Amino acid sequence: MAAKTKSSTLNTKLLLTRLVDALSQVNEKLDSIIELNGKILKMQEEFLQRITNKSYPMTELKLEPDALSLLSLPMSLRKTVMVLYKLEKATADDLANETKRLRAVESASANQLVRMGYLKKRREGREVYFYIESPMEMRK
Amino acid sequence: MKGKAISIHSSRGGTGKTVIATNLAATYANKGLNVALLDLDFRAPSLATVFSKGIRHPVRHWLNDVLDGQCTVEQALIDVSEGYNLRGRLLIGLANPAIEAIRNIMEKSRAWEVTAVKKLFSLRSTLFNDMNIDCCILDTSPGVQYSSINAVISSDISVIVTTLDSIDLKGVENMLVELYDTFAKRTVVLINKVFPETRFWSSERQKDLISQMKKVLKHPIIGVIPCYCDVLEAKRTSLLAVEKPSHPFLRNLEEVAEKLEHVI
Repeated sequence: MAAKTKSSTLNTKLLLTRLVDALSQVNEKLDSIIELNGKILKMQEEFLQRITNKSYPMTELKLEPDALSLLSLPMSLRKTVMVLYKLEKATADDLANETKRLRAVESASANQLVRMGYLKKRREGREVYFYIESPMEMRK
Repeated sequence: MKGKAISIHSSRGGTGKTVIATNLAATYANKGLNVALLDLDFRAPSLATVFSKGIRHPVRHWLNDVLDGQCTVEQALIDVSEGYNLRGRLLIGLANPAIEAIRNIMEKSRAWEVTAVKKLFSLRSTLFNDMNIDCCILDTSPGVQYSSINAVISSDISVIVTTLDSIDLKGVENMLVELYDTFAKRTVVLINKVFPETRFWSSERQKDLISQMKKVLKHPIIGVIPCYCDVLEAKRTSLLAVEKPSHPFLRNLEEVAEKLEHVI
């Protein structure tokens, strides 16, 4: 009877040891999954930073604001481009002076045209200038 | 009139656009104004032929070169005032009629067209501010083409020349809605080559025709010019405003010129 009890205790111990070993392996695997997941999250964050960070610009979209293309634009945007045919470069204030619309309206229109790829903008001192870039000017 | 650009356009060829443009320019120059007449019909240039009597030296610079940035507008303009004994100055800018030049224009990219329209604005500024030009007339190509739209955009007013032909009128109707109204351009319509018998119509009947056309086109009618056989038969090398100043066609055009001065 005593021998039977001893054998049963040994089996339980062995079982528990195996269980601990198995749990330990599961734990290691979970650790490596968590570590891998961390790496993936870090790479995703870096990628997001890269596409939103100005030091890593995406390939710029450029469309030609030629007369026929203007026909497909809304009147508010068309007016802004037509002023820029006349002026080499213009601030939102310059645009507003020409179109007799509010500065805020011109700023919104010009920035929308920049996002669409029809215009470019650059900072000169405290002023932001909008302009049309054309290949012939780029060669100069 | 001081520093105004007038584009002369049509929906189709054969409406008499170039005859109107050249004689309108000569009419203003005869009144003592300084006028620049530019041929922007790069696909079918014609001013070199019309002014052949007034061009005394071989042409070295064309408007094509100005738009290409190869010469200045001053270099491309030819003073023909002396040749036609005009009171004011008449400077003409020619489009290159060589096939190679026409082919080049047809191959231009959209980016080039953007630069071309910007050059037209800068050319305007040179004419009016540096060269003391009072009026610039732009003779365009018919229909919707880059050269004509660029001219329309850079001018202060557009005169659309049409006949009473139903295809012409439908074309004008479409252009007015889809082009001129879209660009919010000041536009007037000149009806040319109307039935010869309208010359003998009563003024009420003529007014009735104008009001009918105004209803259809929904834009002001600046004048109605009858069809004169001798104008049609005249060689393109003659300038009626100089050679036959008392011709009734010129009297009609003088009225249009005067109305235009008030409209601008």
